[in-house]
Amino acid sequence: MYTHNGQDLFVIDGHMHFWDARPENWKNQYGESWIQCFYGYHSALSPADAVWPFDKFCHYGTEAVVDDLFRHGYVDMGILNSTYLYEFYKNGFNSHVQNHTIKAQYPERFLLCGSFDPRDEEAGLDILRQTVAEYPITGLKLYTAEWRNGSRGWRLNDPWAYKYLELAQELGIKNIHVHKGPTVYPLSRDAFDVHDVDYAATDFPALNFIVEHIGLPRLDDFCWIATQESNVYAGLSVAMAFVHLRPRYFGEIMANLLFWLGPDKLCFGSDYAIWSPKWLIEKFMAYDIPDDLQQEYHASLTLEIKRKILGENMARLYGIDIAAQRAKLRQDGLGGPGVA
Amino acid sequence: MRDPVSYAFPPGYNGTAILEQLDQVLDPELDESILQLGFVRALRVDADHVTVALQLPTSWCAVNFAFLMADDIRRALLMLKGITRVTVQLGDHCTAEAIETAVQGGHSFAAAFPDAGDESLEVLRLTFRRKGFLSRQERLLRDLQAAGYTPEAICALRLSDAVAADGTCLLRPPTHVPDDRSPPETLRRYLQCRAEFGLDCTRTAPLIIDLDGQPLPVARLQAYYQHARTVRVALEANGAFCRAMLAARQHPCSLHPSP
Repeated sequence: MYTHNGQDLFVIDGHMHFWDARPENWKNQYGESWIQCFYGYHSALSPADAVWPFDKFCHYGTEAVVDDLFRHGYVDMGILNSTYLYEFYKNGFNSHVQNHTIKAQYPERFLLCGSFDPRDEEAGLDILRQTVAEYPITGLKLYTAEWRNGSRGWRLNDPWAYKYLELAQELGIKNIHVHKGPTVYPLSRDAFDVHDVDYAATDFPALNFIVEHIGLPRLDDFCWIATQESNVYAGLSVAMAFVHLRPRYFGEIMANLLFWLGPDKLCFGSDYAIWSPKWLIEKFMAYDIPDDLQQEYHASLTLEIKRKILGENMARLYGIDIAAQRAKLRQDGLGGPGVA
Repeated sequence: MRDPVSYAFPPGYNGTAILEQLDQVLDPELDESILQLGFVRALRVDADHVTVALQLPTSWCAVNFAFLMADDIRRALLMLKGITRVTVQLGDHCTAEAIETAVQGGHSFAAAFPDAGDESLEVLRLTFRRKGFLSRQERLLRDLQAAGYTPEAICALRLSDAVAADGTCLLRPPTHVPDDRSPPETLRRYLQCRAEFGLDCTRTAPLIIDLDGQPLPVARLQAYYQHARTVRVALEANGAFCRAMLAARQHPCSLHPSP
Protein backbone atom coordinates (compact mmCIF):
# COMPACT_ATOMS: atom_id res chain seq x y z
CA MET A 1 0.00 0.00 0.00
CA TYR A 2 1.25 3.42 -0.90
CA THR A 3 0.02 6.32 1.19
CA HIS A 4 -0.17 9.72 -0.44
CA ASN A 5 -1.44 12.72 1.55
CA GLY A 6 -3.39 10.40 3.81
CA GLN A 7 -4.91 8.46 0.94
CA ASP A 8 -4.11 4.78 0.53
CA LEU A 9 -3.38 3.38 -2.90
CA PHE A 10 -3.82 -0.36 -3.29
CA VAL A 11 -0.93 -1.79 -5.31
CA ILE A 12 -0.93 -4.92 -7.42
CA ASP A 13 2.37 -5.80 -9.04
CA GLY A 14 1.02 -7.36 -12.21
CA HIS A 15 4.30 -8.90 -13.26
CA MET A 16 6.79 -10.45 -10.86
CA HIS A 17 8.96 -13.52 -10.66
CA PHE A 18 10.33 -15.92 -8.10
CA TRP A 19 13.00 -17.60 -10.18
CA ASP A 20 15.86 -20.03 -9.73
CA ALA A 21 18.67 -19.23 -12.15
CA ARG A 22 21.52 -20.67 -10.09
CA PRO A 23 24.25 -22.26 -12.20
CA GLU A 24 23.28 -25.72 -10.91
CA ASN A 25 19.87 -25.23 -12.55
CA TRP A 26 21.32 -24.24 -15.95
CA LYS A 27 20.72 -26.96 -18.47
CA ASN A 28 23.01 -25.51 -21.15
CA GLN A 29 24.63 -22.22 -22.15
CA TYR A 30 21.20 -20.71 -22.79
CA GLY A 31 20.34 -20.89 -19.10
CA GLU A 32 23.32 -18.68 -18.42
CA SER A 33 22.64 -16.34 -21.40
CA TRP A 34 19.05 -15.87 -20.31
CA ILE A 35 19.86 -14.70 -16.81
CA GLN A 36 22.81 -12.62 -18.05
CA CYS A 37 20.40 -10.90 -20.41
CA PHE A 38 17.99 -10.16 -17.54
CA TYR A 39 20.91 -8.92 -15.45
CA GLY A 40 21.89 -6.57 -18.27
CA TYR A 41 18.42 -5.01 -18.21
CA HIS A 42 18.56 -4.85 -14.41
CA SER A 43 21.92 -3.12 -14.20
CA ALA A 44 21.37 -0.77 -17.16
CA LEU A 45 18.07 0.73 -16.01
CA SER A 46 18.08 0.50 -12.20
CA PRO A 47 19.32 3.36 -10.01
CA ALA A 48 22.89 2.58 -8.89
CA ASP A 49 21.88 1.84 -5.30
CA ALA A 50 19.28 -0.71 -6.46
CA VAL A 51 21.70 -2.89 -8.44
CA TRP A 52 22.24 -6.35 -6.97
CA PRO A 53 25.29 -8.56 -7.22
CA PHE A 54 24.87 -11.21 -9.92
CA ASP A 55 24.76 -14.10 -7.42
CA LYS A 56 21.78 -12.65 -5.58
CA PHE A 57 20.10 -11.92 -8.91
CA CYS A 58 20.35 -15.60 -9.86
CA HIS A 59 18.49 -16.68 -6.75
CA TYR A 60 17.03 -14.41 -4.10
CA GLY A 61 14.59 -16.55 -2.13
CA THR A 62 11.32 -15.98 -0.31
CA GLU A 63 12.52 -13.44 2.25
CA ALA A 64 13.83 -11.06 -0.40
CA VAL A 65 10.51 -11.18 -2.24
CA VAL A 66 8.53 -10.45 0.92
CA ASP A 67 10.89 -7.60 1.86
CA ASP A 68 11.15 -6.04 -1.58
CA LEU A 69 7.45 -6.25 -2.42
CA PHE A 70 5.41 -6.11 0.78
CA ARG A 71 7.59 -4.83 3.62
CA HIS A 72 9.41 -2.08 1.73
CA GLY A 73 8.05 -1.98 -1.82
CA TYR A 74 4.44 -0.74 -1.21
CA VAL A 75 2.99 -3.77 -3.01
CA ASP A 76 -0.16 -5.38 -1.64
CA MET A 77 -0.36 -8.29 -4.04
CA GLY A 78 1.89 -9.77 -6.68
CA ILE A 79 1.03 -11.76 -9.79
CA LEU A 80 3.47 -14.61 -10.27
CA ASN A 81 4.18 -14.74 -13.98
CA SER A 82 5.27 -18.35 -14.33
CA THR A 83 7.97 -18.88 -16.95
CA TYR A 84 9.03 -22.45 -17.63
CA LEU A 85 11.97 -22.56 -20.05
CA TYR A 86 12.62 -26.26 -19.53
CA GLU A 87 14.88 -26.16 -22.58
CA PHE A 88 17.25 -23.86 -20.69
CA TYR A 89 16.73 -24.75 -17.00
CA LYS A 90 16.69 -28.25 -15.52
CA ASN A 91 13.83 -27.55 -13.10
CA GLY A 92 12.38 -24.67 -15.08
CA PHE A 93 13.03 -20.96 -14.54
CA ASN A 94 9.99 -20.15 -12.39
CA SER A 95 7.34 -22.75 -13.03
CA HIS A 96 3.97 -22.61 -11.29
CA VAL A 97 5.23 -25.40 -9.03
CA GLN A 98 8.17 -23.27 -7.83
CA ASN A 99 5.95 -20.19 -7.66
CA HIS A 100 3.33 -22.05 -5.67
CA THR A 101 5.79 -22.58 -2.81
CA ILE A 102 5.69 -18.86 -2.05
CA LYS A 103 1.97 -18.53 -2.69
CA ALA A 104 1.30 -21.42 -0.29
CA GLN A 105 3.16 -19.49 2.40
CA TYR A 106 1.33 -16.20 1.73
CA PRO A 107 -1.86 -17.21 -0.06
CA GLU A 108 -3.57 -13.82 0.06
CA ARG A 109 -0.52 -11.98 -1.22
CA PHE A 110 -0.15 -13.69 -4.57
CA LEU A 111 -2.09 -14.55 -7.68
CA LEU A 112 -0.63 -17.52 -9.51
CA CYS A 113 -0.36 -17.84 -13.27
CA GLY A 114 -0.16 -21.16 -15.05
CA SER A 115 0.59 -21.55 -18.72
CA PHE A 116 0.09 -23.71 -21.78
CA ASP A 117 1.96 -24.49 -24.91
CA PRO A 118 -0.24 -25.33 -27.89
CA ARG A 119 2.54 -27.46 -29.34
CA ASP A 120 1.62 -30.05 -26.69
CA GLU A 121 -1.63 -30.46 -28.64
CA GLU A 122 -4.12 -32.97 -27.17
CA ALA A 123 -1.92 -34.19 -24.30
CA GLY A 124 -1.39 -30.66 -23.00
CA LEU A 125 -5.13 -30.03 -22.65
CA ASP A 126 -5.34 -32.72 -19.97
CA ILE A 127 -2.26 -31.35 -18.27
CA LEU A 128 -3.80 -27.87 -18.15
CA ARG A 129 -7.04 -29.32 -16.72
CA GLN A 130 -5.10 -31.21 -14.09
CA THR A 131 -2.86 -28.25 -13.21
CA VAL A 132 -5.82 -25.95 -12.69
CA ALA A 133 -7.45 -28.59 -10.51
CA GLU A 134 -4.32 -29.01 -8.37
CA TYR A 135 -3.11 -25.41 -8.10
CA PRO A 136 -4.93 -22.14 -7.35
CA ILE A 137 -4.33 -20.78 -10.84
CA THR A 138 -6.35 -17.70 -11.83
CA GLY A 139 -4.37 -16.43 -14.80
CA LEU A 140 -2.14 -17.71 -17.56
CA LYS A 141 1.22 -16.37 -18.67
CA LEU A 142 2.04 -17.19 -22.25
CA TYR A 143 5.45 -17.03 -23.88
CA THR A 144 4.85 -17.25 -27.60
CA ALA A 145 8.58 -17.12 -28.30
CA GLU A 146 9.52 -20.14 -26.20
CA TRP A 147 11.63 -22.79 -27.88
CA ARG A 148 10.40 -26.34 -28.08
CA ASN A 149 11.96 -29.27 -29.93
CA GLY A 150 13.40 -27.20 -32.74
CA SER A 151 10.35 -24.91 -32.98
CA ARG A 152 11.19 -21.26 -32.30
CA GLY A 153 7.77 -20.14 -31.15
CA TRP A 154 4.02 -20.14 -31.79
CA ARG A 155 1.19 -17.70 -32.28
CA LEU A 156 -1.94 -17.01 -30.25
CA ASN A 157 -4.12 -17.59 -33.29
CA ASP A 158 -2.72 -21.05 -34.08
CA PRO A 159 -5.61 -23.57 -34.17
CA TRP A 160 -4.28 -25.45 -31.15
CA ALA A 161 -3.83 -22.22 -29.20
CA TYR A 162 -7.55 -21.58 -29.71
CA LYS A 163 -8.38 -24.97 -28.21
CA TYR A 164 -6.37 -24.04 -25.13
CA LEU A 165 -8.03 -20.63 -24.86
CA GLU A 166 -11.43 -22.35 -25.09
CA LEU A 167 -10.42 -24.70 -22.31
CA ALA A 168 -9.08 -21.85 -20.16
CA GLN A 169 -12.42 -20.12 -20.49
CA GLU A 170 -14.24 -23.33 -19.59
CA LEU A 171 -12.04 -23.66 -16.48
CA GLY A 172 -13.01 -20.16 -15.36
CA ILE A 173 -9.72 -18.45 -16.18
CA LYS A 174 -10.25 -14.95 -17.50
CA ASN A 175 -6.84 -13.32 -17.61
CA ILE A 176 -4.23 -14.11 -20.20
CA HIS A 177 -0.86 -12.39 -19.78
CA VAL A 178 1.10 -12.50 -23.00
CA HIS A 179 4.79 -11.66 -23.10
CA LYS A 180 5.41 -9.27 -25.95
CA GLY A 181 8.53 -7.33 -25.23
CA PRO A 182 12.18 -6.67 -25.98
CA THR A 183 14.26 -9.46 -27.37
CA VAL A 184 15.48 -11.88 -24.79
CA TYR A 185 18.34 -13.87 -26.18
CA PRO A 186 18.07 -16.66 -27.26
CA LEU A 187 14.43 -16.25 -28.26
CA SER A 188 13.70 -15.09 -31.76
CA ARG A 189 12.33 -11.66 -32.45
CA ASP A 190 9.41 -12.31 -34.74
CA ALA A 191 7.64 -14.53 -32.22
CA PHE A 192 7.13 -11.38 -30.12
CA ASP A 193 5.17 -9.66 -32.87
CA VAL A 194 1.88 -8.43 -31.36
CA HIS A 195 -0.55 -8.96 -34.22
CA ASP A 196 -1.67 -12.41 -33.10
CA VAL A 197 -3.19 -10.79 -29.98
CA ASP A 198 -5.60 -8.95 -32.27
CA TYR A 199 -7.10 -12.18 -33.62
CA ALA A 200 -7.35 -13.91 -30.25
CA ALA A 201 -8.86 -10.87 -28.54
CA THR A 202 -11.56 -10.59 -31.20
CA ASP A 203 -12.37 -14.29 -31.08
CA PHE A 204 -12.36 -14.52 -27.27
CA PRO A 205 -14.20 -11.41 -26.12
CA ALA A 206 -14.79 -12.82 -22.63
CA LEU A 207 -11.05 -13.16 -21.95
CA ASN A 208 -8.74 -10.31 -20.98
CA PHE A 209 -5.41 -10.10 -22.76
CA ILE A 210 -2.75 -8.26 -20.81
CA VAL A 211 0.12 -7.51 -23.17
CA GLU A 212 3.18 -7.59 -20.95
CA HIS A 213 5.82 -4.95 -21.77
CA ILE A 214 3.26 -3.21 -24.05
CA GLY A 215 4.75 -4.87 -27.08
CA LEU A 216 8.01 -2.87 -26.86
CA PRO A 217 9.70 -2.40 -29.29
CA ARG A 218 6.36 -2.38 -31.13
CA LEU A 219 4.48 0.11 -29.00
CA ASP A 220 2.73 1.62 -32.03
CA ASP A 221 1.34 -1.73 -33.22
CA PHE A 222 0.22 -2.48 -29.68
CA CYS A 223 -1.60 0.86 -29.41
CA TRP A 224 -3.61 0.25 -32.59
CA ILE A 225 -4.69 -3.19 -31.38
CA ALA A 226 -5.49 -2.14 -27.83
CA THR A 227 -7.53 0.79 -29.13
CA GLN A 228 -9.67 -1.49 -31.27
CA GLU A 229 -10.06 -4.38 -28.85
CA SER A 230 -11.86 -3.58 -25.62
CA ASN A 231 -10.32 -6.63 -23.89
CA VAL A 232 -6.66 -5.82 -24.53
CA TYR A 233 -4.74 -4.24 -21.64
CA ALA A 234 -1.27 -2.75 -21.20
CA GLY A 235 1.13 -4.48 -18.80
CA LEU A 236 3.59 -1.71 -17.99
CA SER A 237 6.65 -3.61 -16.85
CA VAL A 238 9.83 -2.62 -18.73
CA ALA A 239 8.15 0.69 -19.69
CA MET A 240 8.02 1.57 -15.96
CA ALA A 241 11.80 1.35 -15.69
CA PHE A 242 12.20 4.37 -18.01
CA VAL A 243 10.81 6.58 -15.23
CA HIS A 244 14.29 6.79 -13.72
CA LEU A 245 16.82 6.93 -16.55
CA ARG A 246 14.74 8.47 -19.35
CA PRO A 247 11.87 10.35 -17.69
CA ARG A 248 10.89 12.27 -20.83
CA TYR A 249 10.52 9.11 -22.90
CA PHE A 250 8.54 7.61 -20.05
CA GLY A 251 6.26 10.66 -20.29
CA GLU A 252 5.89 10.22 -24.03
CA ILE A 253 5.06 6.53 -23.64
CA MET A 254 2.50 7.24 -20.91
CA ALA A 255 0.99 10.13 -22.88
CA ASN A 256 0.53 7.85 -25.87
CA LEU A 257 -0.97 5.06 -23.79
CA LEU A 258 -3.39 7.48 -22.12
CA PHE A 259 -4.22 9.02 -25.49
CA TRP A 260 -5.03 5.73 -27.23
CA LEU A 261 -6.11 3.39 -24.44
CA GLY A 262 -7.28 5.72 -21.66
CA PRO A 263 -6.54 5.29 -17.94
CA ASP A 264 -8.62 2.14 -17.34
CA LYS A 265 -6.48 -0.28 -19.34
CA LEU A 266 -3.01 0.38 -17.93
CA CYS A 267 -1.61 -2.00 -15.30
CA PHE A 268 1.51 -1.60 -13.21
CA GLY A 269 4.15 -4.31 -13.20
CA SER A 270 7.75 -4.28 -11.97
CA ASP A 271 9.10 -7.41 -13.61
CA TYR A 272 10.72 -8.07 -10.24
CA ALA A 273 13.53 -9.05 -9.76
CA ILE A 274 14.65 -7.31 -12.94
CA TRP A 275 13.46 -4.09 -11.35
CA SER A 276 12.24 -3.49 -7.83
CA PRO A 277 8.82 -2.02 -7.00
CA LYS A 278 10.12 0.27 -4.24
CA TRP A 279 12.01 2.67 -6.49
CA LEU A 280 9.64 2.24 -9.42
CA ILE A 281 6.64 3.24 -7.32
CA GLU A 282 8.41 6.07 -5.47
CA LYS A 283 9.56 7.61 -8.74
CA PHE A 284 6.22 7.00 -10.44
CA MET A 285 4.30 8.66 -7.60
CA ALA A 286 6.63 11.67 -7.75
CA TYR A 287 6.28 11.89 -11.53
CA ASP A 288 4.03 13.72 -13.90
CA ILE A 289 4.15 14.01 -17.66
CA PRO A 290 6.13 17.13 -18.74
CA ASP A 291 3.96 20.21 -19.32
CA ASP A 292 4.41 20.47 -23.09
CA LEU A 293 3.39 16.81 -23.52
CA GLN A 294 0.41 17.28 -21.19
CA GLN A 295 -0.81 20.11 -23.37
CA GLU A 296 -0.22 18.25 -26.58
CA TYR A 297 -1.89 15.01 -25.54
CA HIS A 298 -4.36 16.43 -23.03
CA ALA A 299 -3.11 13.73 -20.68
CA SER A 300 -1.63 13.82 -17.22
CA LEU A 301 -0.96 11.37 -14.43
CA THR A 302 -3.36 12.56 -11.76
CA LEU A 303 -3.56 10.79 -8.41
CA GLU A 304 -6.79 9.19 -9.59
CA ILE A 305 -5.11 7.79 -12.68
CA LYS A 306 -2.08 6.58 -10.72
CA ARG A 307 -4.45 4.78 -8.37
CA LYS A 308 -6.01 2.98 -11.30
CA ILE A 309 -2.68 2.07 -12.83
CA LEU A 310 -1.09 0.87 -9.62
CA GLY A 311 -3.88 -1.44 -8.56
CA GLU A 312 -7.51 -0.70 -9.34
CA ASN A 313 -7.40 -1.77 -12.97
CA MET A 314 -5.80 -5.12 -12.25
CA ALA A 315 -8.09 -5.66 -9.23
CA ARG A 316 -11.05 -5.26 -11.58
CA LEU A 317 -9.64 -7.80 -14.05
CA TYR A 318 -9.14 -10.35 -11.29
CA GLY A 319 -12.39 -9.55 -9.49
CA ILE A 320 -10.65 -8.42 -6.31
CA ASP A 321 -12.69 -6.39 -3.84
CA ILE A 322 -10.05 -3.97 -2.60
CA ALA A 323 -11.65 -3.17 0.77
CA ALA A 324 -12.19 -6.85 1.58
CA GLN A 325 -8.71 -7.75 0.42
CA ARG A 326 -7.14 -5.02 2.55
CA ALA A 327 -8.88 -6.47 5.58
CA LYS A 328 -7.47 -9.92 4.82
CA LEU A 329 -3.97 -8.58 4.26
CA ARG A 330 -3.94 -6.92 7.67
CA GLN A 331 -3.98 -10.40 9.18
CA ASP A 332 -0.68 -11.66 7.82
CA GLY A 333 1.52 -9.31 9.78
CA LEU A 334 3.80 -8.33 6.93
CA GLY A 335 2.84 -4.76 7.78
CA GLY A 336 4.28 -2.94 4.82
CA PRO A 337 4.17 0.84 4.63
CA GLY A 338 0.58 1.96 5.06
CA VAL A 339 -0.68 -1.39 6.33
CA ALA A 340 -1.63 -1.10 9.97
CA MET B 1 27.73 9.56 -23.55
CA ARG B 2 29.67 7.50 -26.03
CA ASP B 3 33.23 6.51 -26.59
CA PRO B 4 35.12 7.96 -29.54
CA VAL B 5 35.76 5.67 -32.48
CA SER B 6 39.32 4.41 -32.62
CA TYR B 7 40.92 4.78 -36.04
CA ALA B 8 43.81 2.93 -37.64
CA PHE B 9 44.38 4.50 -41.04
CA PRO B 10 47.53 4.40 -43.19
CA PRO B 11 49.63 7.61 -42.84
CA GLY B 12 47.98 10.52 -44.60
CA TYR B 13 44.77 8.56 -45.27
CA ASN B 14 41.59 10.62 -45.38
CA GLY B 15 38.79 8.63 -43.80
CA THR B 16 36.03 11.15 -44.49
CA ALA B 17 34.42 9.13 -47.26
CA ILE B 18 34.30 6.03 -45.07
CA LEU B 19 32.73 7.94 -42.21
CA GLU B 20 30.17 9.51 -44.52
CA GLN B 21 29.19 6.11 -45.82
CA LEU B 22 28.96 4.67 -42.30
CA ASP B 23 26.82 7.60 -41.24
CA GLN B 24 24.25 6.47 -43.82
CA VAL B 25 23.98 3.00 -42.30
CA LEU B 26 20.99 2.87 -39.97
CA ASP B 27 19.92 0.68 -37.16
CA PRO B 28 16.77 -0.29 -39.04
CA GLU B 29 14.74 -0.69 -35.89
CA LEU B 30 15.60 2.76 -34.58
CA ASP B 31 16.01 4.72 -37.84
CA GLU B 32 19.21 6.23 -36.52
CA SER B 33 22.76 6.15 -37.86
CA ILE B 34 24.96 3.46 -36.30
CA LEU B 35 27.69 6.08 -36.07
CA GLN B 36 25.46 8.48 -34.13
CA LEU B 37 24.29 5.65 -31.91
CA GLY B 38 27.90 4.87 -30.99
CA PHE B 39 27.81 1.29 -32.29
CA VAL B 40 31.06 1.71 -34.27
CA ARG B 41 34.01 1.09 -31.98
CA ALA B 42 36.96 0.90 -34.35
CA LEU B 43 37.87 1.42 -37.96
CA ARG B 44 40.92 0.07 -39.69
CA VAL B 45 42.09 0.50 -43.25
CA ASP B 46 44.79 -1.75 -44.76
CA ALA B 47 45.22 -0.81 -48.43
CA ASP B 48 41.91 -1.90 -50.05
CA HIS B 49 40.57 -3.64 -46.95
CA VAL B 50 38.36 -1.95 -44.33
CA THR B 51 37.64 -3.53 -40.98
CA VAL B 52 34.77 -2.17 -38.93
CA ALA B 53 34.45 -3.29 -35.32
CA LEU B 54 31.01 -2.87 -33.80
CA GLN B 55 29.81 -2.97 -30.24
CA LEU B 56 26.06 -3.42 -30.08
CA PRO B 57 24.10 -2.48 -26.95
CA THR B 58 23.92 -6.09 -25.80
CA SER B 59 25.44 -9.38 -26.84
CA TRP B 60 21.89 -10.65 -27.43
CA CYS B 61 20.67 -7.87 -29.73
CA ALA B 62 18.20 -9.28 -32.25
CA VAL B 63 20.13 -11.42 -34.69
CA ASN B 64 18.14 -10.29 -37.73
CA PHE B 65 18.78 -6.59 -37.11
CA ALA B 66 22.44 -7.23 -36.29
CA PHE B 67 22.76 -9.07 -39.60
CA LEU B 68 21.11 -6.22 -41.49
CA MET B 69 23.49 -3.64 -40.03
CA ALA B 70 26.59 -5.72 -40.77
CA ASP B 71 25.42 -6.41 -44.31
CA ASP B 72 24.54 -2.75 -44.91
CA ILE B 73 28.00 -1.68 -43.72
CA ARG B 74 29.65 -4.03 -46.17
CA ARG B 75 27.50 -2.81 -49.06
CA ALA B 76 27.98 0.85 -48.19
CA LEU B 77 31.76 0.61 -48.00
CA LEU B 78 32.16 -1.52 -51.12
CA MET B 79 30.61 1.37 -53.05
CA LEU B 80 33.74 3.42 -52.34
CA LYS B 81 36.50 3.58 -54.89
CA GLY B 82 39.57 1.64 -53.81
CA ILE B 83 37.77 -0.56 -51.27
CA THR B 84 37.46 -4.18 -52.34
CA ARG B 85 37.24 -6.01 -49.04
CA VAL B 86 35.16 -5.28 -45.95
CA THR B 87 35.27 -7.15 -42.67
CA VAL B 88 32.63 -6.43 -40.04
CA GLN B 89 33.36 -7.62 -36.52
CA LEU B 90 30.54 -7.99 -34.01
CA GLY B 91 32.65 -8.38 -30.89
CA ASP B 92 30.91 -10.37 -28.19
CA HIS B 93 27.54 -10.62 -29.93
CA CYS B 94 26.05 -14.06 -29.39
CA THR B 95 26.06 -14.90 -33.09
CA ALA B 96 29.11 -12.81 -34.07
CA GLU B 97 30.90 -15.61 -35.88
CA ALA B 98 27.90 -16.74 -37.92
CA ILE B 99 27.03 -13.19 -38.98
CA GLU B 100 30.65 -12.26 -39.77
CA THR B 101 31.13 -15.35 -41.93
CA ALA B 102 27.82 -14.93 -43.77
CA VAL B 103 28.29 -11.22 -44.43
CA GLN B 104 31.89 -11.66 -45.55
CA GLY B 105 30.79 -14.36 -47.97
CA GLY B 106 27.79 -12.35 -49.18
CA HIS B 107 25.37 -15.06 -47.99
CA SER B 108 21.74 -14.38 -47.14
CA PHE B 109 20.33 -14.26 -43.64
CA ALA B 110 18.08 -17.24 -44.38
CA ALA B 111 21.10 -19.30 -45.44
CA ALA B 112 23.04 -18.35 -42.31
CA PHE B 113 20.15 -18.83 -39.87
CA PRO B 114 17.77 -21.38 -41.38
CA ASP B 115 15.64 -21.74 -38.23
CA ALA B 116 15.55 -18.11 -37.12
CA GLY B 117 11.89 -17.59 -37.96
CA ASP B 118 9.73 -17.13 -40.99
CA GLU B 119 9.69 -13.34 -41.18
CA SER B 120 11.67 -12.37 -44.27
CA LEU B 121 14.45 -9.95 -43.57
CA GLU B 122 13.42 -7.69 -46.42
CA VAL B 123 9.83 -7.54 -45.18
CA LEU B 124 11.14 -6.65 -41.76
CA ARG B 125 13.40 -3.97 -43.20
CA LEU B 126 10.53 -2.48 -45.19
CA THR B 127 8.25 -2.47 -42.13
CA PHE B 128 10.78 -0.43 -40.23
CA ARG B 129 11.63 1.84 -43.19
CA ARG B 130 7.94 2.73 -43.33
CA LYS B 131 7.99 3.51 -39.62
CA GLY B 132 11.12 5.57 -40.22
CA PHE B 133 9.35 7.57 -42.94
CA LEU B 134 6.41 8.32 -40.64
CA SER B 135 8.64 9.28 -37.77
CA ARG B 136 10.74 11.65 -39.92
CA GLN B 137 7.59 13.18 -41.34
CA GLU B 138 6.14 13.60 -37.85
CA ARG B 139 9.21 15.60 -36.78
CA LEU B 140 8.77 17.87 -39.77
CA LEU B 141 5.05 18.30 -39.06
CA ARG B 142 5.88 19.09 -35.46
CA ASP B 143 8.36 21.77 -36.55
CA LEU B 144 5.85 23.23 -38.97
CA GLN B 145 3.18 23.42 -36.28
CA ALA B 146 5.65 24.98 -33.87
CA ALA B 147 6.56 27.54 -36.54
CA GLY B 148 2.92 28.59 -36.69
CA TYR B 149 1.74 26.85 -39.84
CA THR B 150 -1.97 26.02 -39.72
CA PRO B 151 -3.24 22.64 -40.98
CA GLU B 152 -4.53 24.41 -44.11
CA ALA B 153 -1.14 25.99 -44.73
CA ILE B 154 0.70 22.68 -44.17
CA CYS B 155 -1.50 20.80 -46.62
CA ALA B 156 -1.06 23.53 -49.22
CA LEU B 157 2.77 23.47 -49.09
CA ARG B 158 4.65 22.25 -52.15
CA LEU B 159 8.26 21.10 -52.19
CA SER B 160 9.20 24.39 -53.88
CA ASP B 161 7.82 26.23 -50.83
CA ALA B 162 10.16 24.32 -48.55
CA VAL B 163 13.40 24.07 -50.48
CA ALA B 164 14.90 26.67 -52.82
CA ALA B 165 16.45 25.59 -56.11
CA ASP B 166 19.89 25.88 -54.49
CA GLY B 167 18.85 23.55 -51.67
CA THR B 168 18.38 26.12 -48.89
CA CYS B 169 15.43 25.74 -46.59
CA LEU B 170 12.64 28.24 -47.10
CA LEU B 171 10.53 27.24 -44.09
CA ARG B 172 10.21 29.61 -41.18
CA PRO B 173 12.13 28.42 -38.16
CA PRO B 174 9.93 27.12 -35.33
CA THR B 175 9.57 29.26 -32.27
CA HIS B 176 9.99 26.21 -30.07
CA VAL B 177 11.96 23.12 -31.00
CA PRO B 178 11.45 20.53 -28.27
CA ASP B 179 13.97 17.94 -29.49
CA ASP B 180 16.58 20.41 -30.69
CA ARG B 181 16.45 19.40 -34.34
CA SER B 182 16.55 22.39 -36.65
CA PRO B 183 14.03 22.45 -39.51
CA PRO B 184 16.60 21.97 -42.28
CA GLU B 185 17.73 18.73 -40.61
CA THR B 186 14.22 17.37 -40.14
CA LEU B 187 13.39 18.46 -43.68
CA ARG B 188 16.55 16.89 -45.11
CA ARG B 189 15.94 13.56 -43.36
CA TYR B 190 12.31 13.46 -44.46
CA LEU B 191 13.12 14.26 -48.08
CA GLN B 192 15.92 11.70 -48.15
CA CYS B 193 13.59 8.97 -46.95
CA ARG B 194 10.87 10.12 -49.33
CA ALA B 195 13.27 9.83 -52.25
CA GLU B 196 14.36 6.34 -51.11
CA PHE B 197 10.74 5.22 -51.35
CA GLY B 198 10.63 6.50 -54.93
CA LEU B 199 7.90 9.02 -54.07
CA ASP B 200 7.43 12.12 -56.19
CA CYS B 201 10.12 14.65 -55.29
CA THR B 202 9.52 17.15 -58.09
CA ARG B 203 9.26 20.77 -57.05
CA THR B 204 5.51 21.05 -57.59
CA ALA B 205 4.69 17.92 -55.52
CA PRO B 206 2.92 18.46 -52.19
CA LEU B 207 5.33 18.58 -49.23
CA ILE B 208 3.30 16.23 -47.05
CA ILE B 209 2.20 12.99 -48.70
CA ASP B 210 1.48 9.56 -47.30
CA LEU B 211 3.40 6.38 -48.13
CA ASP B 212 1.14 5.80 -51.13
CA GLY B 213 2.20 9.18 -52.49
CA GLN B 214 -1.22 10.71 -51.82
CA PRO B 215 -1.52 14.29 -50.55
CA LEU B 216 -3.25 14.69 -47.19
CA PRO B 217 -6.57 16.52 -47.07
CA VAL B 218 -6.84 18.96 -44.16
CA ALA B 219 -9.55 16.82 -42.56
CA ARG B 220 -7.17 13.85 -42.35
CA LEU B 221 -4.07 15.67 -41.18
CA GLN B 222 -4.65 15.58 -37.42
CA ALA B 223 -5.45 11.85 -37.25
CA TYR B 224 -2.51 11.12 -39.53
CA TYR B 225 -0.22 13.17 -37.32
CA GLN B 226 -1.39 11.42 -34.13
CA HIS B 227 -0.67 8.09 -35.73
CA ALA B 228 2.80 9.12 -36.94
CA ARG B 229 3.55 10.57 -33.51
CA THR B 230 3.08 7.23 -31.80
CA VAL B 231 5.33 5.55 -34.36
CA ARG B 232 8.02 8.16 -33.67
CA VAL B 233 7.68 7.67 -29.90
CA ALA B 234 7.98 3.89 -30.31
CA LEU B 235 11.19 4.23 -32.33
CA GLU B 236 12.64 6.77 -29.91
CA ALA B 237 11.77 4.69 -26.88
CA ASN B 238 13.61 1.76 -28.45
CA GLY B 239 16.55 4.02 -29.18
CA ALA B 240 16.57 5.20 -25.56
CA PHE B 241 16.52 1.60 -24.39
CA CYS B 242 19.42 0.64 -26.67
CA ARG B 243 21.46 3.69 -25.68
CA ALA B 244 20.96 2.91 -22.00
CA MET B 245 22.11 -0.66 -22.54
CA LEU B 246 25.16 0.48 -24.52
CA ALA B 247 26.06 3.15 -21.97
CA ALA B 248 25.86 0.58 -19.18
CA ARG B 249 28.38 -1.59 -21.03
CA GLN B 250 30.78 1.21 -21.82
CA HIS B 251 30.56 3.16 -18.57
CA PRO B 252 29.05 0.93 -15.91
CA CYS B 253 29.68 3.43 -13.09
CA SER B 254 28.55 6.66 -14.68
CA LEU B 255 24.89 6.07 -15.50
CA HIS B 256 22.79 9.01 -14.60
CA PRO B 257 19.30 10.13 -15.53
CA SER B 258 18.82 12.33 -18.58
CA PRO B 259 15.85 13.34 -20.67
